[in-house]
Amino acid sequence: MSVDLNSEEQAVIGQIERFSSKVLVPAAAEIDAKSRFATLHRPALAEMGIMGMNLPEAYGGIGLSGPALYCAVEAIAAACGSTASMLTAHFLATDSLLLGADEALKQRILPAAAAGEALGAFALTEPMAGSNPADMRSTATRDGDGYRLKGSKCFISNAGEADFIVVYAKTDSAAGARGVSAFVVEPARIEGVEIGRPEETMGLRGGHVFPISFDCHVPAENRLGDEGTGFRTAMKVLDNGRIEVAAQATGIARAALDAAVSYAREREVGGQPIGSFQGLQWMLADSATELAAARALGLQAARKRGTGARYSRDSAFAKLYASEAAWRIADRALQIHGGYGYTRDFPLERYLRDLRIFRIYEGSSEIQRTIIARDLLS
Amino acid sequence: MKILVPVKRVIDYNVKVRVKADGTGVDLANVKMSMNPFDEIAVEEAIRLREAGKAEEIIVVSVGPQQAQETLRTGLAMGADRGILVKTDATTEPLAVAKILKKVVEEEQPGLVILGKQAIDDDCNQTGQMLAALLGWSQGTFASKVDLGEGTVDVTREVDGGLQTVKLKLPAIVTTDLRLNEPRYASLPNIMKAKKKPIDEKSPEDYGVDVAPRLEVLKTVEPPARQAGVKVADVAELVAKLKNEAGVL
Repeated sequence: MSVDLNSEEQAVIGQIERFSSKVLVPAAAEIDAKSRFATLHRPALAEMGIMGMNLPEAYGGIGLSGPALYCAVEAIAAACGSTASMLTAHFLATDSLLLGADEALKQRILPAAAAGEALGAFALTEPMAGSNPADMRSTATRDGDGYRLKGSKCFISNAGEADFIVVYAKTDSAAGARGVSAFVVEPARIEGVEIGRPEETMGLRGGHVFPISFDCHVPAENRLGDEGTGFRTAMKVLDNGRIEVAAQATGIARAALDAAVSYAREREVGGQPIGSFQGLQWMLADSATELAAARALGLQAARKRGTGARYSRDSAFAKLYASEAAWRIADRALQIHGGYGYTRDFPLERYLRDLRIFRIYEGSSEIQRTIIARDLLS
Repeated sequence: MKILVPVKRVIDYNVKVRVKADGTGVDLANVKMSMNPFDEIAVEEAIRLREAGKAEEIIVVSVGPQQAQETLRTGLAMGADRGILVKTDATTEPLAVAKILKKVVEEEQPGLVILGKQAIDDDCNQTGQMLAALLGWSQGTFASKVDLGEGTVDVTREVDGGLQTVKLKLPAIVTTDLRLNEPRYASLPNIMKAKKKPIDEKSPEDYGVDVAPRLEVLKTVEPPARQAGVKVADVAELVAKLKNEAGVL
């Protein structure tokens, strides 16, 4: 466990590990096999206080430090990637409010979200905007006492069951990134929000993602902060979000390595455990080293969370390295399991499928490299 | 009414126990430690009694090293109101613990003391009974049901061959068995709040108890490895083996 954690935080992580192994692990294979939405765990997560663990106590959270939150997300992802994905999408939504909204909106939404009574979604990605969110086409134009929100979003986690969606749209189409504003949209309360069927995905099959289209009225008090501040909010949220993505990839990789180590001890070939062969030992050693490096980079970024400073480069390091290393670790773990690893009787193929998206979403590996290079050269 | 719940810090039940190379005991270095599972059941029962309006205050007490404070915090996170740590690095034996608990009981005057029936490290199954004897209180051990009445408590006990219900006059000692309840998970907010709940720190000397061990450990050994089984070709061979070799038929 990380030395960054105080004794209460260590107790929190211990309790999450315990909860995860008893509640999340037993359901993980079925969530994947049947594409069951991981929100089935929402009541249990809410009772534990996990749905609000990214928030300060003032908004119903528990005020975990960045490193503690990193360890918590890692533990949940090690148990069930889909659940971690659903949970961290909720965090992106609440984090948007925490970092961008005025006090009244925070007080209206966050305590219920922290208690797990309201599920959040974060809607930034658009079909035509690719990796540059400033290219978004969605617009919010002044309309009476509020805005007319028009446009569409894609791959929006949780949208199908979300009680509130943080939607990013342009209030000034000519102003580029500075023309982006963020709004809270409550689909059950207003007309004109259409949420499609969840996408059929390769992995994280219980972390459902949906297409959404809007043509709806949003009251002005649902705007996060001032007009034009949405892009800055989104970038800050994604700095945090990338740590959580890194933590998830590290968690799944940890589960894969643990499985590989036990298998290497138990599986016998020619009268001796396969772990006694040097070729396999070196694979395990490489995996353990890469896992430790991924965690170290994740914690380095996590220490800067909440300090007010931007830390895009650290969070890009963490996200890039963890998502790429986790893929290699899980791939080796499957290789160690041989043909059995390829079957659905073992979780290895699920880990690998779940991990593939981590090299793509919340900024692909290529985008992370661009962020790092720009920071080096600027 | 106050309920006192003594809790012990033990090696976690998920940990594979390893004997020290010199045979003097079990290796505890860098091993995960937790609250004794039977004590968790005791804490849970106390909380349920408070939730049912039958108790006002729950005090958890632990006799052990500084780290036993974490065990008390676990109890506080589950819902106990305050803790008492009786700090000692000595190997604690049931009689010494019972003597300390007797003093704590005399100070705190609880109406009920609920303990785990035994700790999963040394499996002594003695502390509750010794405490009852020292105090001259009634005891209901191996409880699978606790029904608190006016001035009495009905305790259903798991005994060989069935269940036995005894009615005890309060104050009384109850020790918990596995089926009494399923302890709750402390929620994360409660874990964080537990740090604000008070823990009194005491020492055995404060209670005038000598905790020096009365027992000497001669050696500690791993249980013998299980022998591999035998495959039989058919039922006839199985029956023959059961008859002639195992002698069970």
